[in-house]
Amino acid sequence: MSPRRIGAMARKEFIHIFRDPRSLGMGIAIPMIMLLLFGYALTLDVDKVPMVIWDQSRSQASREFISHFLGSRYFSLQGYVDKYPEVEKSIDSRRALVSLVIPSDFAGRIASGRKTPVQLIVDGSDSNTATIAGGYAEVIVAAFSQDLLLQEFRRSGGVSPSNPVELRPRVWFNADLESRNYIIPGLIAVIMMVIAALLTSLTVAREWEQGTMEQLISTPVKAPELIIGKLIPYFTIGMFDVFLAVMMGEFLFQVPLRGSVALIFAQAAIFLIGTLSLGMLISIVTKNQLLASQLAMVATFLPAFLLSGFAYPIRSMPPVLQWITYLVPAKYFVILLKGIYLKGVGPRVLLVEGIFLSVFGLVMFVLANLKFKKRLI
Amino acid sequence: MIGRLKQILIKEFIQIFRDPRARGIVFVMPIFQMVIFGYAVTTDVKHVATGIYDLDDSLASREVVARFVHSGYFDIKATISREEQVQKLVDHGKVQAVIRLNKGFEENLKAGRKGIIQLIVDGTDSNTAAIVLNYSGKIVSRYSQDILIQRLARLRGPGQKPSPVDLEIRAWFNENLESRNYYVPGVIALLVMLITLLLTSMAVVREKEIGTMEQIMVTPITPKEFILGKTLPFALISLVDVVLITLVGVFWFEVPIQGSLWLLLLATSLYLMTTLGMGLFISTVSRTQQQAMMSAFFFQFPAVLLSGFVFPIANMPEVVQWLTYLNPLRYFLIIIRGIFLKGVGMSILWPQMAALMVMGLLILWLASRRFRKTLA
Amino acid sequence: MAMAEGEKAVVVRDLERRFGSFVAVNRVSFEVEKGEIFGFLGPNGAGKSTTIRILCGILAPSGGTGTVAGFDIVREAEKIKAHIGYMSQKFSLYEDLTVEENINFYSGIYSIAEEKKKERKEWVIQMAGLGERRSTRTALLAGGWKQRLALGCAILHEPPIIFLDEPTSGVDPISRRRFWDLIYELSSKGVTIFVTTHYMDEAEYCDRIGLIYRGELIALGTPEALKTEWMREDVLECVCDRPQEAMELIETIPGIKEVALFGKGLHAVVEKAETFQEIIRQHLLDNGYRVIGIEKIVPSLEDVFVSLIEARDKAEQAQAEVRK
Repeated sequence: MSPRRIGAMARKEFIHIFRDPRSLGMGIAIPMIMLLLFGYALTLDVDKVPMVIWDQSRSQASREFISHFLGSRYFSLQGYVDKYPEVEKSIDSRRALVSLVIPSDFAGRIASGRKTPVQLIVDGSDSNTATIAGGYAEVIVAAFSQDLLLQEFRRSGGVSPSNPVELRPRVWFNADLESRNYIIPGLIAVIMMVIAALLTSLTVAREWEQGTMEQLISTPVKAPELIIGKLIPYFTIGMFDVFLAVMMGEFLFQVPLRGSVALIFAQAAIFLIGTLSLGMLISIVTKNQLLASQLAMVATFLPAFLLSGFAYPIRSMPPVLQWITYLVPAKYFVILLKGIYLKGVGPRVLLVEGIFLSVFGLVMFVLANLKFKKRLI
Repeated sequence: MIGRLKQILIKEFIQIFRDPRARGIVFVMPIFQMVIFGYAVTTDVKHVATGIYDLDDSLASREVVARFVHSGYFDIKATISREEQVQKLVDHGKVQAVIRLNKGFEENLKAGRKGIIQLIVDGTDSNTAAIVLNYSGKIVSRYSQDILIQRLARLRGPGQKPSPVDLEIRAWFNENLESRNYYVPGVIALLVMLITLLLTSMAVVREKEIGTMEQIMVTPITPKEFILGKTLPFALISLVDVVLITLVGVFWFEVPIQGSLWLLLLATSLYLMTTLGMGLFISTVSRTQQQAMMSAFFFQFPAVLLSGFVFPIANMPEVVQWLTYLNPLRYFLIIIRGIFLKGVGMSILWPQMAALMVMGLLILWLASRRFRKTLA
Repeated sequence: MAMAEGEKAVVVRDLERRFGSFVAVNRVSFEVEKGEIFGFLGPNGAGKSTTIRILCGILAPSGGTGTVAGFDIVREAEKIKAHIGYMSQKFSLYEDLTVEENINFYSGIYSIAEEKKKERKEWVIQMAGLGERRSTRTALLAGGWKQRLALGCAILHEPPIIFLDEPTSGVDPISRRRFWDLIYELSSKGVTIFVTTHYMDEAEYCDRIGLIYRGELIALGTPEALKTEWMREDVLECVCDRPQEAMELIETIPGIKEVALFGKGLHAVVEKAETFQEIIRQHLLDNGYRVIGIEKIVPSLEDVFVSLIEARDKAEQAQAEVRK
């Protein structure tokens, strides 16, 4: 292998990149925007759920009950209704996502200690918010019920602590449950795969389409020299993106980093080699930029986003899909990143993931070399 | 003009379908993506891997564990007997939660003192952690309530059993609150955009890059015909794709479709105007396919994230919420979810349809104007 | 780097290349001597580019054998690449790189020795006349410049054999002339040049030509040999008035193989010049045409080519008939 030839390829590739400032700019801007969005704008937390109330009881007791909801930051009262069609209209038109319906005999039932059903109608089409809103409502109602029971209890002369059973939760690693702290580390993995998808997937295909590849394969340049030469510039950009992400995480979002920064960069480098080689493999095999871009989307970006555990918990997926995630390199990198950031663990704990990434990198690189033929057909 | 247009369309279709791989990409890929999306995208939290550290080993402690298991959310993966095991299991990700009951739990309860259940949750996945806390809170408060009711009943003697307020949650439109039913229609909207945007922008630039553009421009084809010729095939393909992935959604994932299919197609057509227009616009500002791809992605990504597909718009910062009003996908999602799950029609959805139409026409007009300029 | 003495630059035996059921190159055999300018002439789609690509080692043959610079085209393709220069049909330069950057790149790819790098670069720039355009983006160069730059990049490493695939297509006549001057210069230094073209006049510049049609080599020899020995018929040049109508008249004469307009006159392909000279003259005069002159001329390569192709087509037709 000739370092000179590798150097010539790398230099040429760098020139291409810098002569296309838009793509370069985007290669840096896109990760930044992703970080900003995920850091500031996007959250799965839900509050201020719009609610309408149909109080059929209109009693002291029902108003007392309602006040618990009004006082909660999770619900935002949009108005009172007094007919069923109005409930329908509110939910259909999305004026409200939930509707609290209090039966007319609410006060009576409460006073006599009978079971008192209260209905919460939720808009199932937004199942996410509906589930969460339902959860909040249950908490509020449970607390209200608890209070009632305690009053009963004390009136009957009993002595009891406020709750017989208490749950003491302790959250490890991300005590504030800042969703940002867990999204940002995983996001770095997604960003890496995106760069691979966007940049390397087109490079070889482009040369085929323009005809310069035909010229290249008539020269003594060898497949590994060509591939390594092309990888070098994109690797540099990728590592720069990692650096940017880690910096933003540290200074802009104050995501706590408990583990070793050096380990992050080391693993990122290995991961990057793998994903860039994958992108290049796609380019080599398709020889067509349009197809390469589509394939890259499906083979690198989508799995990284959907199946890596970055946003959607893998354990909740059907078993078949869970098996498939074992083949998704981003999954291992996400585990690594979250581990290093939040748990502060090191290579010993994360050995399996580290090995897998190394194997992935090696396999992809070898495949790219094998598939690159210095022949036209 | 119709004659020439027909010619262009035929040529485009031939070009697209000559390559068997292109056929795969255009029809098979969306279905494939749909299936993956449909299965992967679920925020329901189930099968929480749990470890039990029960130092009391009493009837009461076992009752607690049983309640957790019966809830259906927790899967017992480990029974812990030593302190160090807890750290190790959580560190390695083998369990996401550990329920710990100290010795004396049952005793405390019997004596009328507080019984403490410790719960350790792995916060690295804070979304799941919050939901786990929520579930646990419900289970424990239920248990607590039951104990209180028992004690109350004992105090008051036989007779009425005291009952608290009971919350009955009824979901309209998606009774089981399956997140899949929420996401799948959204995925359709998403895929339509992904397909049309990327393909349109790259297909036009491709001709520029390869150089056939000049040749076409020399013929009597008018810019209008060229634009139509480039965008109509993808519009048609997308409509076919919409039908295909809707079929997958309805028959494979069993997502109900309550509303009118025709309305869906109409809305899709309106939405297509925006994406095709955007694709066209991108092609006018890109010299190479690489640039087109990057630009398309640059636009797509925030568009998806800020559309309400996964992350609720209502919980975004004010400023960002205003931004989403410019995002056609936002409207299309409302329409598509409305049609699938709510079965609502024009009377409810007309504001969104109108918004789409206005945006579509505007974007198309801007794009074609720019396109003509770049040709001149 | 040097070949053995007496070895041929290119040897090809029964070379075949099929694409599915289409036979692009059909059992072609020929040899090219060292230092020759060898031309491959033929219409588009005849198999020229396919042949050249096989010889450069970037396309595998379906059948047959061959060597380039003494290396086997099937088993030693990579070795061939170190000893040849190839200029593909599209010129294949990097459009967004400058002239200098393109040269530097190929310099590195061919691993040109450090001491020679600068010298070769200057040579190419001088040769191509790009002294003032070193830092110009290749995309902005006109056709002629690009062509010479592409040639320069292909011979940076001073290969003994160079393959040029339609190097002058789309280039203005002056640049074409200039290009061929360069070719002669290289040839005089002992470089073997294998060039494909569909320009008949360029074929005259070559030492030897191979005529390729529908994948088959239908003629092989020096231009003179082709004009005098390969063409069985004779060519008469007739200059008269109303050439268009005259042509239609002459066509009707039995025994006339072919009549075509050529400049201001007509070329008639006949069995024997002496016989038909008079017949045509008489025919024209009888029909009221003014005859300025009828002469036997040396056929042009185009005449040769057309006649050979026709013969081939007729032979195939006859074979098809027989098979029926």
